[in-house]
Amino acid sequence: MHPDGELETLMVRYQQGDFAAATALIQRLSPQLHRFFAVQFVSRPSADDLLQETWLRLHEVRHTYRPGEPVLPWLYAIARHIRVDHYRKAGRTSAREQSLDETPEMPAPRAAPAATLTMQEMLAPLPESQREVIELLKISGMSLEEVARATSSTVGSVKQKAFRAYEKLRERLGQMGGAS
Amino acid sequence: MKDGELDDILKRAAAAQPGPDPALLDKIAASIQPNMRPVRPLPSARKLHIALPAACLAIATMVAARLGLHGLAAMSGLQFLVIPLVPILIGRAAAAWVNETIPGSRRREPPLALLAIACAALLALFAALFHDPLADGFVHQGVVCLVAGLATAVPVALTGWWLLRRGFAVSPTGAAIAAGTLAGLAGVAMLELHCPNFQTWHVLVWHTAVVPVSAAIAVLLAKLVQIRRAHVDAR
Repeated sequence: MHPDGELETLMVRYQQGDFAAATALIQRLSPQLHRFFAVQFVSRPSADDLLQETWLRLHEVRHTYRPGEPVLPWLYAIARHIRVDHYRKAGRTSAREQSLDETPEMPAPRAAPAATLTMQEMLAPLPESQREVIELLKISGMSLEEVARATSSTVGSVKQKAFRAYEKLRERLGQMGGAS
Repeated sequence: MKDGELDDILKRAAAAQPGPDPALLDKIAASIQPNMRPVRPLPSARKLHIALPAACLAIATMVAARLGLHGLAAMSGLQFLVIPLVPILIGRAAAAWVNETIPGSRRREPPLALLAIACAALLALFAALFHDPLADGFVHQGVVCLVAGLATAVPVALTGWWLLRRGFAVSPTGAAIAAGTLAGLAGVAMLELHCPNFQTWHVLVWHTAVVPVSAAIAVLLAKLVQIRRAHVDAR
């Protein structure tokens, strides 16, 4: 978890052309961005590609970050756009050809204690929008307001998705015998 | 299971997730290094929230003044309420367009809801203020007003696009709906100042129609741009 102020300072320095600040941001934020793509069942090479594409786009539009505003909603709003674009392109490609490389890695259900499940396995039963909210809210540690900004929705809608997601997760983990 | 336990399980699973290869992060940093130059951040949202509706209203007023302020001259009593109420909707639509072009902005309502609110508000306003039941030359006069409103929307949309040209719309369709709604409302503002035909059905149908038609045209243009970009990317 990064203090927001520190990220904002780095972002402002990045806008001023400071390469060290850009590198620091890449090092700090890439793991969570990578996870953001990975929980949506893209393959690891695709998550790497998406991460790279996201940073290139962030670099192109870094002037759209406004100093004083939180960095994470800005960053994730752009990352979501890249992900949606990726789905669109993948959809077009698969409409033309049967690509084995793009087959998403859907985790096979397995009987295991909840504590040993991977992120993908944990979030598998959730719809995409709920998975995204859980990832941003509970794992990236963003506030409701920040998630609402990142996902272009309202705080009420984010709350509702998180509540429903937790209901489903609780139900699933309960069936598996809880966190053993 | 309590929320806290669920949080812990999720965090443990996230921590166990393999991160990106450090070599990939070095590669990303190296790829942006040649283009490291200072950039000027966008103006504050507040400035844009003021500049955009001001420009729209100025254009609508100038076009109406050029064509003649016959509508304003014919207004009486409560009908003058149109003058402050349409700009309120313009301000709201302008704020929505600005927010759609700045990633991570707060969104008050989805652009489609904004369009619906704008149309409903205009219908309610016109129904409350205009009570002439006649419908002379309904289609002919209506089409003239629709075209004039849309013609006013064009410079408004171009001005808005110029003001927000440095922005980045994460949802091009949402931005197009907001842009079209704003431009259409500017067209309505012009019609209210210019058009002296206060027949209820004329105002309700043809003046209000400028807004959804303008939004539809904006969405169509955005889709065409997206398709063209996709073709360029595919090459």
